[in-house]
Amino acid sequence: MNRRLVLTAVTLASLHFAISHAADPALPDLKGRSIVAVTENAYLPLNFKDPKTGASVGWEYDVFNEIAKRLNAKVDWKLTSWDTMIEAVRKGQFDVGMDGITIKDDRKKQVDFSDAYMVSEQFMMVRGNEKRFTDAKSFKGNAKLLVGAQSGTTNFYTAVYEVLDGNEKNPRIKLYDTFGLSMQALKAGDVDTVLSDGVSAQGYVKAFPGVYKVVGQPMGREEFGFIFKPGSDLVKPVNAALKQLKADGTLKKFDQKWFVDYKLNQ
Amino acid sequence: MALLIESEPPERPYWLLALALISAAFVWLAIADGRYGLIFQTLAEGLWTTVYVAVIAYALAASLGLLLALASRARNVWLSQAARFYIEVVRGLPALVILLYVTFVGAPAAVNLYQWALEGWIAQDWLPDVQLRDVSNTTRGIVALALAYSAFLAEVFRAGLQSVQREQIEAAQALGLSRWLTFRLVVWPQAVRRVLPVLGNDFIAMVKDSSLVSVLGVNDITQLGKLYASSSFLTVETYNVVAVLYLMLTVTLSLLLRRLERHLRRRGGV
Repeated sequence: MNRRLVLTAVTLASLHFAISHAADPALPDLKGRSIVAVTENAYLPLNFKDPKTGASVGWEYDVFNEIAKRLNAKVDWKLTSWDTMIEAVRKGQFDVGMDGITIKDDRKKQVDFSDAYMVSEQFMMVRGNEKRFTDAKSFKGNAKLLVGAQSGTTNFYTAVYEVLDGNEKNPRIKLYDTFGLSMQALKAGDVDTVLSDGVSAQGYVKAFPGVYKVVGQPMGREEFGFIFKPGSDLVKPVNAALKQLKADGTLKKFDQKWFVDYKLNQ
Repeated sequence: MALLIESEPPERPYWLLALALISAAFVWLAIADGRYGLIFQTLAEGLWTTVYVAVIAYALAASLGLLLALASRARNVWLSQAARFYIEVVRGLPALVILLYVTFVGAPAAVNLYQWALEGWIAQDWLPDVQLRDVSNTTRGIVALALAYSAFLAEVFRAGLQSVQREQIEAAQALGLSRWLTFRLVVWPQAVRRVLPVLGNDFIAMVKDSSLVSVLGVNDITQLGKLYASSSFLTVETYNVVAVLYLMLTVTLSLLLRRLERHLRRRGGV
């Protein structure tokens, strides 16, 4: 995640706002087609409900809306739970799904992925008064210490393969259904660390100063991609638009907006 | 409450036949499609946990429920009102909410109370020093399910106890039986026989609701299913197997329950 203040090509981006209802000449024209997109609204700041306005907002909303605009398509946004999202997209109930979904080989057998639109890294969150360990190595060395994770997610796999010994059934991992529950368990003292992507980590430290802090080095480099029904004709155009968004600085502009400027819990 | 025993039409368990055919189809699928066999093997490891959680939680819920039923019928107004209060409040909360309360509020409070109240003894090493993490999430899940179901079972027991006619109790006391003996020999056997079908149904419900402990990462059938589905993306296939595993348990229980009911009917008294 880019934390530097970047002077983005705002002028370039605003040009795109000026040209409405016409696909970018360098990109495929989807001729006003409607794309049914789905997310969960549970992944700050990629997709979530703004507590102030109640509106669905976030980095993924902005980026995909921009992609659709450049392809001359409309987006019809829907919500579903993470548990059902993959299956619904695989079955074609939705055209595209996004929820910070990590691109993985075994998942490619079920759905088609776009190119990566974001790289995410995991940080070790600990209680504010933690002194027994300072990084993954010293955590691993003390058999008493436990890690909380969310079943089947990145923070689980990172805990298994980069912090502990690669055994997915390691009893030092305590699984919880949601990220919020594992953070509650960390606060209560049931576990000693929870891995979190940099964004959420920053958010929690900002919202609860003194309760949580971040230690050690970033781990678990991952790439996020949009998911489509296998064989979808949207993969190519979306990838083309994504390439353009990376090249002209639009993605950086949204990084700045959501990862730096947006204030959580206010 | 003498019921007219009507001659019932002979049982035609076609539904069971249909289920057997579907099961056979599933077995064939599992053999033909290697993925199913693997999913089945992986998830079957959660069977024991599901049964264990359901049985212990139910035993606790039944004991607590019986005490609550007796308390709610007590002459002491404090006792009866306290029991009613508990029953109404607990019955009115979703089991998931109770689970989260027990996990993040109840368990820490209980551990703190233990450490504070028995500080001296712990210091002397007469009692173990219990930390919050020593109370496993399985235990917390079991306690939560037991609390949630105790309110329902209390109502079931209360109905059973109320169904025993006053005359019988008066007769027993006229024969010189103590209150305890009256309860043990006259009221309890009749009450329990009448509510057995309901108790059985509630046990089947408990087996299904035990899937809630998956929220805390307890490795029951549901949790192993969630894990498998989230890593493989084989959502429907996995939940098919989850469904079959639960049906294996619940249909077996349901058949046992029917036999028990028939057995009780033959012995009369319902």
